Amino acid sequence: MKHVSIFEYASFRWFKAAVVLSVVAGTVYLWHDPPLKPYGGTWLGYTLGTIGALLILWLLWFGIRKRRYASNVGTVQGWLSAHVYLGTSLLVIATLHTGFELGWNVHTLAYVLMVITILSGFYGVFVYSRVPETMTSNLGEDTIESILLKIADIDREAREKALSLPDQILTIVNRSIDGSRLGGSFWRILSGRDPTCPTAAAVEQLPELAKRLTGDVSKLNHEVYTLLLQKNELLQRVRRQMRLKATLDLWLYVHVPVSIALLAALTAHVISVFIYW
Amino acid sequence: MKLLVISQSRNRAGKPIQAKKEINADWVRVGRAANSEIHLPDPRIALNQGIIVNRDGPVYTEGEAGSMSTTRKAVRSFRLRPGQFVDVGPYKLTAIETPEGYDGAFTVEMMRPPETVASDFSTRATTLSLAQLHIPKRWAAILFFLAVGIAFFLLPAGRVLDLPWKQASASTTVVGDRIWNPGPVMLAHQPIEMKCESCHQVAFQQVRDRACLECHSKIGQHVGPEFKPVALFDGARCATCHKDHKGVKSTHRDDDLMCVACHKDVRAKANGAQAQNVSDFTRDHPAFRLSIPSVNGIKRVRMGSGVIEEKSNLIFPHDVHLNPKGIRSPTKERVVLDCGNCHAPDASKRTFEPIRMMKNCQECHALEFEPAVTTRQVPHGKPAEAVTVVNEFYANLSLNGVKDSFEKAFGVPGEGLLRRVGQPSEAERQVALALASKKAKQVSEELFEIRVCKTCHELVRTGEGDAKEWNVLEVRANNAWMPSARFDHKSHLSSKCADCHNVAKSAKSSDVAMPTIESCRDCHGGSRPVEKKVTSNCLMCHGFHEAKHPWDPDFKPHDKAHVALESRVAH
Repeated sequence: MKHVSIFEYASFRWFKAAVVLSVVAGTVYLWHDPPLKPYGGTWLGYTLGTIGALLILWLLWFGIRKRRYASNVGTVQGWLSAHVYLGTSLLVIATLHTGFELGWNVHTLAYVLMVITILSGFYGVFVYSRVPETMTSNLGEDTIESILLKIADIDREAREKALSLPDQILTIVNRSIDGSRLGGSFWRILSGRDPTCPTAAAVEQLPELAKRLTGDVSKLNHEVYTLLLQKNELLQRVRRQMRLKATLDLWLYVHVPVSIALLAALTAHVISVFIYW
Repeated sequence: MKLLVISQSRNRAGKPIQAKKEINADWVRVGRAANSEIHLPDPRIALNQGIIVNRDGPVYTEGEAGSMSTTRKAVRSFRLRPGQFVDVGPYKLTAIETPEGYDGAFTVEMMRPPETVASDFSTRATTLSLAQLHIPKRWAAILFFLAVGIAFFLLPAGRVLDLPWKQASASTTVVGDRIWNPGPVMLAHQPIEMKCESCHQVAFQQVRDRACLECHSKIGQHVGPEFKPVALFDGARCATCHKDHKGVKSTHRDDDLMCVACHKDVRAKANGAQAQNVSDFTRDHPAFRLSIPSVNGIKRVRMGSGVIEEKSNLIFPHDVHLNPKGIRSPTKERVVLDCGNCHAPDASKRTFEPIRMMKNCQECHALEFEPAVTTRQVPHGKPAEAVTVVNEFYANLSLNGVKDSFEKAFGVPGEGLLRRVGQPSEAERQVALALASKKAKQVSEELFEIRVCKTCHELVRTGEGDAKEWNVLEVRANNAWMPSARFDHKSHLSSKCADCHNVAKSAKSSDVAMPTIESCRDCHGGSRPVEKKVTSNCLMCHGFHEAKHPWDPDFKPHDKAHVALESRVAH
């Protein structure tokens, strides 16, 4: 079966729906002649506000729908396609609802939280359309677990072989074996780097130390160096993988909590507007 | 090629066990892939790790040609003679003596099982994703939700919803309901901007008119009660037209849409309306109506249908006074007058002070009655008093006048009776009084009918002979031709008076010099912007609310809610 992306799902059904929604809203907005200036309290303002609020609730429901594996209401792929496209049209609907009236108040707070949620969603769509491919090619036939096993293998082999090498070299090889680490902190995961990585240091230092070696020792050292190179490359691949995975994950740490905060701000917005009608 | 492969492993008891497998193939795949002939199920082995081909005996080959990667090993090939071995990942592939009927034989043995190689490195590689860092997505969401909900709804709602913390939310600036303010209120409302309750008196109810009337108690309906304004405007609230929080300048729209909605066919809306239909100042606006005082009060007369005359009972030729060569004055030869010599702006600068005899006319039009003898003038305004002054003057002159004055005034030789030698006789007294009385009557008649009063006033004389009396007709000079128009002379200072009021050739006071709508249209366009015209909507010249028709005659302001006053007291 040919792979159909969420963008072109069902022959762009939700793209068309979003375009129609936005164009109709924009046209009515231009045609509408409000009593003073466009704002949320005209009949069009209330209409757009109602559509926008229902859209927000429905978009939030995606977080629940995607976990309902038994649900038959559409496919999750279809839901995601609609989530992306209708979420984009929400930007138009809600902006027209504001009538471009923004200020330091709960109403604009709701709008800003909505914009942050939508923009983070755009970023999410962007990374999900690019990063998984990179992740697949980065790992190749390996998995994180197999790479860790390979590194452990290399460590064992390097430790054995380095025993016969000069102390200085043995020290940096052991440092690589005992000190190399993967992940562990937010920045190391997100950046995909570890500036203090002893393996990278070993790879850098070894050629200099090996200059005076000759004969069998030199050959053994070369083998150890090759192992370190392999290990360094494996470490970097895992780190790259961590970074890519974190890129896929991180935007959701904005998208989800901010969308829930939006739910609170939206509620406050709607109720406060009618308290002070 | 036919190969014998012996897989060596150990059972649970640690005893070695062997599994033999015979392979018959042109080439033998070695790897993790399930379809490999030599299947090595270990994650450290590639799917297709290597291959064994027959080149005069088995040769093991692995790696990728041309690869620069250090993990994708360069191609390595081993010819596997009996006794020789090659490490394939954690496995050891050893060639053994080839049995009869085979092309080669190997043992495959796992040398480093994964469990035993799991070093302490794996303990330094446990946290590889954000999820493993336990960054709390769900808790963050709940926290955000609560923070926003409390700070932006529950706290601000304290006062209006009468929640336990209403005192705090009413008194502090941080958590108050001002965070709900959707936009700046108009300038005049800014003193009460932070007191939402001054307008939003009841929660979940639209702002009621009584909130507006607290301050705007004098506001009027658009039309009088005879038109039933409440029904006519469909029970509209103040806020139907006046939307606040929409900027500091105004609460209502500035174009003609709402006016024209009714006034394009005003009688269809209100039968009996006096106004004519109007839809735009330039294209469709009736001629102006002038308010003209008459005996029966103010009359409104529409311009354009015949000559309109003002009946002010005053005689005043503008042309004489505005003669460019000047006009005779009592002090100088001739003075050239302009409008400003008589028409002085009032304090508002919008319109003019009424013309007053004493201030504007009397300097030239002195009320002297015997200029040859005295500069005394008769009082202005009350004809009977003027006659009395004249009578008294001549009576006094006939009794006390010095020779010079006596002769100039009466035109006969002599002097005042009391100045003569000796006691005057009764006959002499009668002669003197008769002389004075006759002169006074003559001067009065001259004063009223020829020389002074008649210059400017319409007069009525009653009685004949000695019983003659004069009356000046009431002056009804108009000072407010369009009293309801929002016209401001100050805003028109850049124009000359004559641009609108052409009086230079006016010889009669009955001439009306009010501008027609055409002269306004020279500068003013309609509500749509047009080049070289001042865009002018209805509200530029017309008001909507009529103060004489109170909005709610029964409304009693509630002093406590009178926030504007309250704040004035507070400061």
